[in-house]
Amino acid sequence: MDSKTVPSIILNQLKPAIVLFLLLTIITGIFYPVLITGIAQLVFPLQANGNFIVHDGKVAGSALIGQPFTSPGYFWGRPSATSPVPYNAGLSSGSNLGPSNPALVNAVKTRVDALHAADPANTLPVPVDLVTASGSGLDPDISVAAANYQVHRIARERNFTDSDVQALVASHVEPRQFGIFGEPRVNVLNMNLALDEMSATHIVPSSPVPQGFDFPDEPGLRIPDWIVLILFIGVFVVTVVPLGRFMVHVLKGEPHLLSPLTGPLEHRLLAWSQVNAKDEMDWITFAIAMMVFSFIGILFLFVLQLTQSVLPLNPAGIGSPSWDLALNTAVSFVSNTNWQAYAGETGVSYLTQMMGLCVQNFTSAATGLAVLTGLAYGLSRKSASTIGNFWVLLVRSVMILLPLSIIIALILVSQGTVQTFSGPVIVQLLDPVKDASGAFVTTQTIPLGPAASQVAIKQLGVNGGGFFNTNSAHPFENPTPFANFIEIIAILLIPSALCYSFGRMVGAGRKGVSLLIAMTLIFLPLLGLAIWAELGGNPALAGMGIDQTTTDLQPGGNMEGKEVRFGITGSALFSVVTTAASCGAVNSMHDSFTPLGGFVQLLMMQFGEVVYGGIGSGLYGMLIFVIIAMFIAGLMVGRTPEYLGKKIEPREMAIATIIILIPIFLILISTAVAVLVDSGRIAVLNPGPHGFSEILYAFTSASQNNGSAFAGLSANSLFYNLMTAAGMFIGRFGVAILTLALAGSLVVKKIVPVSEGTLSDHRPLFLIWLVFVVVIIGALSFLPALALGPLVEHLILGGGV
Amino acid sequence: MPEPAGTRNNKPVLPLIYRRAVIDAILKLDPRLMIKNPVMFVVEAGSALTTLLWLQALAGNGEAPAGFIGAISAWLWFTVLFANFAEALAEGRGKAQAESLRKMRQDTLAKKLYLGYEIVKGREPVPADYLEVSSSTLHKNDLLYVKAGDTIPVDGEVTEGIASVNESAITGESAPVIRESGGDRSAVTGGTVVLSDWLIIQVSAGAGEGFLDHMISLVEGAKRQKTPNEIALNILLIGLTAVFLVVCATLWAFSVYSVQTSGSGIPVTVTVLVALLVCLAPTTIGGLLSAIGIAGMDRLIRRNVITTSGRAIEAAGDVDVLLLDKTGTITLGNRQAVELVPVDSTDIMDLVETAQLASLADETPEGRSIVVLAKEKYGLRGRTVGATESGAGMQFIAFTSQTRMSGVDSGDIHIRKGAADAMFRHIEASGNPVTDALKKEVNIIALAGGTPLVVTKNCKALGVVHLKDIVKGGMKERFAQLRKMGIKTVMITGDNRLTAATIAAEAGVDDFLAEATPESKLNLIREYQTGGRMVAMTGDGTNDAPALAQADVAVAMNTGTQPAREAANMIDLDSNPTKLIEIVEIGKQLLMTRGALTTFSIANDLAKYFVIIPAAFITTYPALAALNFMGLHNAILSAVIFNALIIVVLIPLALHGVTYRPMTAEVALRNNIVVYGIGGLVAPFIGIKIIDMVLVLMGVV
Repeated sequence: MDSKTVPSIILNQLKPAIVLFLLLTIITGIFYPVLITGIAQLVFPLQANGNFIVHDGKVAGSALIGQPFTSPGYFWGRPSATSPVPYNAGLSSGSNLGPSNPALVNAVKTRVDALHAADPANTLPVPVDLVTASGSGLDPDISVAAANYQVHRIARERNFTDSDVQALVASHVEPRQFGIFGEPRVNVLNMNLALDEMSATHIVPSSPVPQGFDFPDEPGLRIPDWIVLILFIGVFVVTVVPLGRFMVHVLKGEPHLLSPLTGPLEHRLLAWSQVNAKDEMDWITFAIAMMVFSFIGILFLFVLQLTQSVLPLNPAGIGSPSWDLALNTAVSFVSNTNWQAYAGETGVSYLTQMMGLCVQNFTSAATGLAVLTGLAYGLSRKSASTIGNFWVLLVRSVMILLPLSIIIALILVSQGTVQTFSGPVIVQLLDPVKDASGAFVTTQTIPLGPAASQVAIKQLGVNGGGFFNTNSAHPFENPTPFANFIEIIAILLIPSALCYSFGRMVGAGRKGVSLLIAMTLIFLPLLGLAIWAELGGNPALAGMGIDQTTTDLQPGGNMEGKEVRFGITGSALFSVVTTAASCGAVNSMHDSFTPLGGFVQLLMMQFGEVVYGGIGSGLYGMLIFVIIAMFIAGLMVGRTPEYLGKKIEPREMAIATIIILIPIFLILISTAVAVLVDSGRIAVLNPGPHGFSEILYAFTSASQNNGSAFAGLSANSLFYNLMTAAGMFIGRFGVAILTLALAGSLVVKKIVPVSEGTLSDHRPLFLIWLVFVVVIIGALSFLPALALGPLVEHLILGGGV
Repeated sequence: MPEPAGTRNNKPVLPLIYRRAVIDAILKLDPRLMIKNPVMFVVEAGSALTTLLWLQALAGNGEAPAGFIGAISAWLWFTVLFANFAEALAEGRGKAQAESLRKMRQDTLAKKLYLGYEIVKGREPVPADYLEVSSSTLHKNDLLYVKAGDTIPVDGEVTEGIASVNESAITGESAPVIRESGGDRSAVTGGTVVLSDWLIIQVSAGAGEGFLDHMISLVEGAKRQKTPNEIALNILLIGLTAVFLVVCATLWAFSVYSVQTSGSGIPVTVTVLVALLVCLAPTTIGGLLSAIGIAGMDRLIRRNVITTSGRAIEAAGDVDVLLLDKTGTITLGNRQAVELVPVDSTDIMDLVETAQLASLADETPEGRSIVVLAKEKYGLRGRTVGATESGAGMQFIAFTSQTRMSGVDSGDIHIRKGAADAMFRHIEASGNPVTDALKKEVNIIALAGGTPLVVTKNCKALGVVHLKDIVKGGMKERFAQLRKMGIKTVMITGDNRLTAATIAAEAGVDDFLAEATPESKLNLIREYQTGGRMVAMTGDGTNDAPALAQADVAVAMNTGTQPAREAANMIDLDSNPTKLIEIVEIGKQLLMTRGALTTFSIANDLAKYFVIIPAAFITTYPALAALNFMGLHNAILSAVIFNALIIVVLIPLALHGVTYRPMTAEVALRNNIVVYGIGGLVAPFIGIKIIDMVLVLMGVV
C-alpha cells in the first residue's frame, strides 16, 4: 500500500468494494437463483411448484401444506398455532409456548377434551402429536398412532367399520424415507380426500401390510434413529478431508477440480474490480477492506428493503418495513446472523430475498472465511507483515460456496422445496373453518417463491435466515426427512472441513482435525442431553391421558413446536447443530423445547459459537480459545506459551481476552437492560423463568451471530431491533477486526522450532484441556443466568438434578 | 534440588520476618498501591462496600442481618490481607537478602588517587599519591588504591598490581582468589577484602550504580518490573475479573426480574453479589502473583546468582539452546594424561620414567597429570626435583611458544616432550628418522580426539603420551534430561573439530562449535535466534562479551572481566558454569507455579457456583434447593472463608514454587492438570463442606 493513513486506505478500497459488491450481487443474487429456478422448472416441475394435488380436475391443496380439519368426520391434523385461523399458510407460525407455560397445558387440555368429546368411547391415551401444535403450523402429517386413534370416530361418523377405516390408514402410511429417515406418518389431506372418495364410492382400499414396522418397540432411541446419527457422523468422516483440501486449493489459488469453471470467473471478477491477486494487505488494510465492503452491504440492503414495495418481483405486493426493522435485518444478514424480526411470507419481496438476503448469505459467509484465512496466514507465515488480500479471499470463498449451493439447492428441490417466481396460490379448503369472529374461512393462500436457492446457502453458509417465517420447519423449506438430513449436513459441511483446511494451511492437516475432534467432544454429550430431554417429553403434560412415549407408530416425546416428519431425533439434532454452528435455521420451535433442550441450545451459543461455529468465524473463535488454553498450559509446562511456534505475549493475550469478553459482555449487559426496562419485558410471551430465557436467548443469538430465537419474544420493536442490531454488529465485526489484529500481531513473529519442550497442540491431552477451557469459560460466564432460566425451569417442572 | 555449596546462611530470623509482613500487609491496603493489582483491588473495593453495608445494617436498615454482612465483610478484608501478607512475606525474604548484600556495600574509606596519577608498572602508590575519601563520593573511572586489609569500596577493574582477595562476603567461598590486571581475572567487586599485596582499581560504577545496588533494589521489589509472561497473565486475570464483575452486576438485574416474574422472594443482596464476585474472581492466583515473582528472584539469589532483570529469569525458562564452554563446564578444567604408548620396542617403564622426568618441573595441569599417571598407573613414585640422585645436575627447559616443547637436561641425557609436529622437527633436526610406528601412534591418538605428546630421549622417540579431556561425572545424564525438556546443548571449544567431536560424543551434547572465536560464537547465537530459538550461555572473558550481549540469557562468572559482567544479565557469584542449568530450572519453575495456581484458581469457581447460586436465589426459586446437594447451612460465608483461607494455604507453594523435575512438556502438563485442575475442581467442595460443618459446630447458623 502506498499511503498509510486510514482515510486514504478507505478511499483506495472503496472502488474494489463497490465493483465487487455489484458483481457478486449479480452472480449470487440474480444468476444463481435464476439458474436454480431454470433447472428446477425443467427437471422437477411438480416439486418446484409446491407439490399441488390435483383432485377431480382441480387443485385440492398442496401435499406439503396441511389444512385445518375440525369436522368429526375428517381426520384431524396437528393443532396449528397460526393466526388468525389455524393452517393459515400465509403466515406460518408455531405456538412458541414454553414447556412450563400454563397456557400450553390449558391448550393441550382443551384439545384432549375435544378429542374425548368427539369420541367419548375412546379412552386410550392420546398420541402426543395430536394435541401439540406443530412447528410450522402447517404440518401436513400426523403419526400413524394419531391416525389410528381417530379411526373409531371416523368410522362412526361415516358409517364405516373400524377395519375399513383402519385399512385406509394403513394404505396411507408413508414409511420412513429410505427406511431410516424421519417418522412413519400419514398425510392428513391425502387421507381425508381418500376418505371422501371412499364415502362416495364405498370402495375400501385393499390395504397392504405397511412396511417398516419390524423394529422392536423400545422406548427412547430406535434403531433407525441410531442409524441416522451414525450416518450423520459418517458423512463428515468422508467429506472433511477432500472438501477441506478443495477449499485450500481454492483459497490459495491452486488448481482444483472446478478450476476450469471458477478460474475464469474469479479472474474476471478481480480484473474488473482492478484487484491484483498478488497485492497483499497488512491487517489494517484487510480490516478496512472488510468493513468498507460490509458497510456497503448494510446500506444496500437497508435501502432495498425500504424501497421493495415499488420495486419489481413483488407478486404478493408486500410493503416496506419500518426503518429500525430494515436496519436490523440489514445488519443481521451482513453479520451472518440472520436474526429475523420479520416474517418471510409477509415482510420481504422476492427481489429482497434474492438480491439482498441471498447475496449476503454468500458474502457474509465468504467474509468469515476470508478472516479465518488471514488468521491462518498470520499463524503460518514467519516474520512477515501481510495476511493475504481480502478481495481475493472473498471472491475465492464465494467460488467455494457457489458450486456447493447449486448441488444442495437441486437436492432440496427434488424433495419439494419450492423454487419459482410465481406468486401465491389460493386453494379451497376441504373443511372450512371458522375464524375468531365466527365467519367461515374457505380458502388457503399458499405462498411460493425462489426458496430452494436461498435455503441451500442459508444452510451451507451457516446463515440461517429462512425464506418463510418458520424457517426449516416450513414444509416448503424442508419438505422431507431426507431434505432435513441434507440441511443438517449442509450446516456442518464447511465448518467441519474448514478445520482440515486450516490445518493444511498451517502445516499439518491433523492439527486442524484435532480441533474438529475437540469441538466434537463438546458437541456429542450435549447432543445426547438434548435428544434425551426431548424424548422424555414434557412433564407438565403428564397425567393428562397423553401418550408421550416414543414407539414405531409415533414420535412421542416433546412434540410441541415439532414436525411429525422429523420426529424428536430429527428435530433435536437440527436444533443442536444449528446452535452449535452459528446457523440459526430451525426446523422446530426452540421456545417450546424442554428446559434442558433449550439449555443445550443456549449453552452451544454461549460457548462462543466455537463448536463448529460459523463459516470461518467458528474456527477463528476456537483458535482464540486455543490461544488462551495454550497460554495457561504453556505456563504449566514452564515455557513462554506458544501456538504453532508463535509466542503468545501480552499483546496477543490482550487481544484474545477482549475477543472472549465481547460476546459475554454483550449478552449479559443487553439481557440485564432488557429485563429492567418495560420495552424489554413486554416482548416476553412465556411467564416465569422461561420468559427470562427468551430474552437471554435473543441476545445470546444476536451477539454470537446465530440468528435462531426463542421465537415467542416479540422482537420486532424499536428496542429489540436496535439492541440486537448493535449486538450483532459488535459481536461480528468487533471480533473479526480484533482477530485480524491478532493475525497482524502474530504474522511478524518468528516461529519457534518444535522440540521436546514444545507442548503438542494436537494430542489428546491438549484437546481435553482445550475442551475444559472452553467449557469452563462458558460455564463461569453464564451459569448464573442459565440457573435463573432453563435450569430452574427444569427443576420447577420436576426434572431431577 | 540439592542446595549448592556456598549458599550463604542468610535465612532471616523467622518471627521477625512474619511480624514485619503482617505490618506490611496492612500498609499495603493503601488503594494507591492496591490498584497495581487490579484483581485484589476489586476485592478491596468489595470489602469496603460490604463494610458500609454492615454499618448501614448496624444502623438498623440493612439489606440483610448485620451479623451476616459483618462476617462476610470481615472475611473479605482477610482475603485482601492474606494476599498482601503473601507479597509482604516474599518481599521480606528479599529484603533480608538485600540487607546482607547491603552490608558489603557499607560506606568505606577509599584511597582515591589524584587526578593525573601516572600508573607505572610495578610501582605501589605512596600516601602522597592519594586522598582518603568516602566511597559514596566516587565516580566512574576514578582510580583507587587498595592494599592488604582494605575493603574494596566499589566495583572496579584492576589496572595495576596483583593481589589475593577474599570474596567470601559475596560468594561464600572462603578460599581467596587472585585478582590482577589484564586477562580474565581483573574484575573486583565492592565489599570484598584484599588479603595480600595491593591493587590499583579503576571504578567501573559510581556509588549506587553497581551490580549489587541493582540487585538490592530488585530483591526489595522497588524496581521489580513485571515480566512479559506476568503481564500477559495479568491481562487474562483482569479479563476474568471483568467477566465476573459483569456476571455479578447483571445477576442483580436478573434477580430483580426473577422476583417479579415468580412473585416470590426478594432480589439478591449486594453483599451476596460482592461475596460471589470475590469468590469467582481469580483471587488465589491474583493474590499470590507478585509473591511468586519475588520468590523466584529470591530462589535465584539463594543459588548465588544475581540478576539485573526478572525478565532474564523468565527467559531462562524458555531457553532452547544452552551454549556451554567445554572447559570447566563439560570437562574437568584441563586435559589429562591417560596412557603412555611406547614405540619402536622401547620398554614401557623406560618411557614412563622419561616422561615423568620430563614433566617434573612442568607445573601445567597436563604436566602434573603425567606425573600422577606415572605414579598411579605404572607405580613409579614421583621424585622431588633436586632431591634425587640425579637431581643435582638437572637443568629444566621451559616450554616456549617458539620451541613448543619442554624437558630436562641432565648431563648427556636430553629429555624432551612436546607437540607431535614440533617433536618431529626436533628429531629430524638431529638426523634421526621419524619412524612409521611413531607416526602411527600419534595418528591413532589424534584421531581419537586426544592430544599426543611425543617423548624423546637424546632425540630419539621413546613413545607418546595420550592427553585427553576428562568429562565431568554425571554430565551425560544431565544433558539427557535437558534434551527431554527440549533444550539443546551446544559445546563451545577452541579445540579442532576432531577433538571437539570426540568430547561432544563422550559428553552427550547435541552439537558443538569447534575452533570457536568470539565472532563464530556470536554468529552461532544469531543463527539460533533467527531460527526462533532462545539461547543461554555462560562466559567470563572479555572476548565473550559480544556473545553474552547477544544471548537471551547470559550468565557471567563473578571471576570474569568487567566487560563480560556488563554484557551479561546475570552473574554467578560462585563462578560455576554448570549453574546455567539450575537457572533454567528456576525459570521454568516460576512459570509453572503461575500456571498451576491459575488453573487451580479457575477450577475452584465451579464449586463456588454450586454453593452460592442456590443459596442466593432460594427465596425466589425454592426448586434451586436441589442444587445444594452438599446440604450446606452457611453456604455463602463458608465459600468466602474458603476463598480467603486457600490463599494462606497456598503461600508456601507460591514461595517455594511447584516441584520441578525434568520431564517432557506432555508429562508436565498432565501432572499439573491432574493436581491443580482436577484438584482445583474437587478441593473447594470438600473445603467448603468442612468449613460449613465447623461453622455449624460453632453455632453460626
